Amino acid sequence: MKIPSTILARLWKRWDTRLSLVIVVFYAVAALYGEGTYQAARWQDQTPAYNQVHENHRYIPPAFVRCFLGDTGAVDRPFYLFGSDNLGRDVGQRLIQGTRIAFHVGIVTSLIAIPLGVLLGCLGGYFGGRCDNVVVWLCATVASMPGLLFILAIAMVAGKGLMGIYLGIGLTTWVSVCRNVRAEVMKHRGRTYVLAAEVLGYSHPRIMFRHILPNVSHIILIAFSIRFPASVATEVFISFLGIGVQSEPSWGIMINNARLRLWQGVWWEMTFVTLAIFFLVLAFNHLADALRDLLDPALRNE
Amino acid sequence: MLLQVQQVSVAYPVRGGRPFFAVRDITFNVGAGESFGIVGESGCGKTSLAKAVMGLLQPASGRILFEGQEVSGLKGEAFKAYRRSVQMIFQDAVGSLNPRQTVLQMMEEVLRVHRMRPEGAIQSRVAELLELVGLPSDVLQAYPRELSGGQCQRVSIARCLALEPRLIIADEPVSALDVSVQARILNLIRSLQQELNLAVLLISHDLAVVRNICDRVCVMYQGEVIEHGSAIEVMDQPREAYTKSLLAAVPDVGRALGK
Repeated sequence: MKIPSTILARLWKRWDTRLSLVIVVFYAVAALYGEGTYQAARWQDQTPAYNQVHENHRYIPPAFVRCFLGDTGAVDRPFYLFGSDNLGRDVGQRLIQGTRIAFHVGIVTSLIAIPLGVLLGCLGGYFGGRCDNVVVWLCATVASMPGLLFILAIAMVAGKGLMGIYLGIGLTTWVSVCRNVRAEVMKHRGRTYVLAAEVLGYSHPRIMFRHILPNVSHIILIAFSIRFPASVATEVFISFLGIGVQSEPSWGIMINNARLRLWQGVWWEMTFVTLAIFFLVLAFNHLADALRDLLDPALRNE
Repeated sequence: MLLQVQQVSVAYPVRGGRPFFAVRDITFNVGAGESFGIVGESGCGKTSLAKAVMGLLQPASGRILFEGQEVSGLKGEAFKAYRRSVQMIFQDAVGSLNPRQTVLQMMEEVLRVHRMRPEGAIQSRVAELLELVGLPSDVLQAYPRELSGGQCQRVSIARCLALEPRLIIADEPVSALDVSVQARILNLIRSLQQELNLAVLLISHDLAVVRNICDRVCVMYQGEVIEHGSAIEVMDQPREAYTKSLLAAVPDVGRALGK
C-alpha cells in the first residue's frame, strides 16, 4: 500500500506533527530499552536496576537541582538525573520501566479492542438486519455500564496484574471502534463497487475483508492513535488504585508512591511521572487529530 | 430462450403501509446472442428489474428463468455458475471499481475466484481481455481514480468478459460518460456482442442508445411495459402516446435552433 508512506511524509512536513512523531519514537525507544533491561535482569536472575533499594540514597533531589544549588556530590550521594524515591531507587530508571508498561498496555489493549471492534462493526454494517441489531445491542450494553467499574470488575476476576488490566480495558473500549467501523462499512455497503463485487460472485467474507476493509482502514489507524493514549491514562488510574501492576514500576504506582511524601517537598517523582504521561498523551492525541484531518478528505477525494 | 422473465413484480416494503411496486407483471424474453432494450424515464423500475434478474432482489411474484432454470432456486455452485453466465455493467463506471485495487489486481481476482484459467495462464488471459476491450497494457498498474470514465467502463466490461458470460446486463452503461466517449463504448458493446455471440440486456433512458444497439425494445412506464416490438418499429411508428412523448423529448439541436 502506498498510502502510509505518503501520510508519514505529510506528517513530517508540519513542525507540530513532526515533533509529535519524534516524541512518540523517543518513547518507543525508551520502552524498548526498558524491555531490554527488564528481560536482561530476569535472565540473569538479578534485581533490576530500577528495583534496587539503597537505604542511604533516599530522597536525593534530581542532579540538575543539586548542581544549581552548588552540591558537588559525595561518595554516598551519587547523582540521579531525576532524583531517587523513598527507597533510594532511581526515578529515571523507573520512569523508563513505566514507559515499557504503558506501551505494553497501549498495544495489548489495542490488539484486543481493535480486532473485536472491527470484526463486529464489519458484521453489523455489512449484513444489517438482525445481525446489526445484535451488534448495536452489544455496543449499547457495554457502553451503558460505567467504564471504570466494569474495568475494575474484570480486573478483579482476572486477578491482579497486567492481564486484568489488558482484559479490562480491551473488553470495554472496543465499542467506539465498533461504532465507527460499522458506520463506515454501512456507507460503503451501498457503493457500486460492492454491488459489482456481489454481481461478480465474490463471497461475503471476501467482499467484507478484501474489498470494504481496505477502504475503511483509515478508521482503524485513527482508532489506534486514539485508543493508545486513552488506555495508558486508564492504566495509570487503575494502578494508582492498586489493582494493576504488582512489583513493577508503572506510572500509576509511581504517582501513588510519590503522593505520600509530596508535602514534605519531595516533588520530583510526581512531577516527572506527570510530565511523562502528559507528553505521551499529548503527542499521541495530536497525531490522532492530524491523522483524522489527513485521512478523511484524502479518502473522500477518491 | 436464454432469459425468460415471466410476470415479474418487484416490491419494496413501506413502513406502515402497503408495499411499493416498482415493477409490475413484466414479461419478456431474451434469446441467445440477441440484444434487448428496456427504455423508460428514471424511476420507472428499470434498475429494480435489472437487480431482480441479477438475483440481487427477490421478485415479489413471477418467475425468472435462465436457460429454463429458475434463478431464485439456484444455490451454491449453481448460483456461482449463474453469476458467470450473467454479468452486469453499471452506470457509475468509476464507482463500480474498488478504489484500492489496481486494474491488474481486479482482473486477476475475478479469474482466480472463478478458476477461469490455471494459475500460469492468468497473465496472458488478462492481456487478452484488455486487448479485447481496446485498452493499452499500461493501465494494468493504474488505480481507478487515475483512469477516465470511458477507460473505467472498458475495465469493467473486461472484468465481466473474464467470466465468459452468455448475457450482459448493461444498466445505463454510457449515460455518465462524455458524448464522444459514449459512441465508442456503444460500438465496443455492439462489436463484442457480435464477436462473442453475447446477449445484451440494455437498460437506458436514451432512445438513441437503445436504437443503436438493440434488435427489440420494450418501453416501461411506472413499472409496467406499455409497448414492445422491434427497435425500428417502436422508434419509427410508436403506438402509445408516452412513447411519442419520449421520442419528442430527445433533444434535437437542429430543431432547437429553429432550422
